[in-house]
Amino acid sequence: MIELPAWIPTHMDYEGQKWAERLFQVIIVLFGVVGLVWGYSIQQFSQTVYILGAGVALACLLTLPPWPMYRRHPLNWQKPRSA
Amino acid sequence: MNTFLSRGNALLAFTLSVLASLTFCCFASTFFNDNRRDANVRTVQVVVKNVADYSASREKNDLGFLTFDLEADLTSVFNWNAKQLFLYLVAEYQTPKNTLNQVVLWDKIILRGENAKIDVKSINTKYYFWDDGNGLKNNQNVTLALHWNVIPNAGLLPNVAAHGLHTFSFPAQYATARGA
Repeated sequence: MIELPAWIPTHMDYEGQKWAERLFQVIIVLFGVVGLVWGYSIQQFSQTVYILGAGVALACLLTLPPWPMYRRHPLNWQKPRSA
Repeated sequence: MNTFLSRGNALLAFTLSVLASLTFCCFASTFFNDNRRDANVRTVQVVVKNVADYSASREKNDLGFLTFDLEADLTSVFNWNAKQLFLYLVAEYQTPKNTLNQVVLWDKIILRGENAKIDVKSINTKYYFWDDGNGLKNNQNVTLALHWNVIPNAGLLPNVAAHGLHTFSFPAQYATARGA
């Protein structure tokens, strides 16, 4: 794996992961349904797939990078104790 | 779900599942469509010769020649699940040798977006009308029927016949075979 500089964050906490997963599922299903309705009304299935693709791009942008909103519930680690 | 790549993997796999269900909905929306339409077929000139078919068995078989008119409007068969139509014109008849003969005389592919109204007059058949034997001369009951196959984006391939057949007869004499 390539080494990123230390100031670029690379993780989400568990609450954030749950929200991220829910968010991309909702976005993709929503764009899928909208695409289906639009494609049926103009009778072109290609438009359905393009709309779904737009939804996937939006979901990637919103949920793949670890934005700060997914790091609002960090775990409460105990302080290190010397042995 | 705790690295960039594993989230990306989950997202893409979910997208594929959603795409599969959208494709199934597309198929389901056209499952009950009636793809039959009216078509008008007429024969213009009909002749039969008795010639040796050198690509078959060296015996003399009947070879029919005909020109025909065809009118059909198939624009309403196309929908979001139809990519193209494969049309073919079939001649069906009975001979003493065979109970059912079906010979494809002409076919055409219409892609979605092309003009789907067919109005041709006095065109020749695309394929030879060979009979297996000598059953065309004086055959009173040869039926021409237009069929088509709907090629979908997703799902089954319906194969339907048009409403409207045309029955014609071959003459009782062979025409002279001047280099068929």
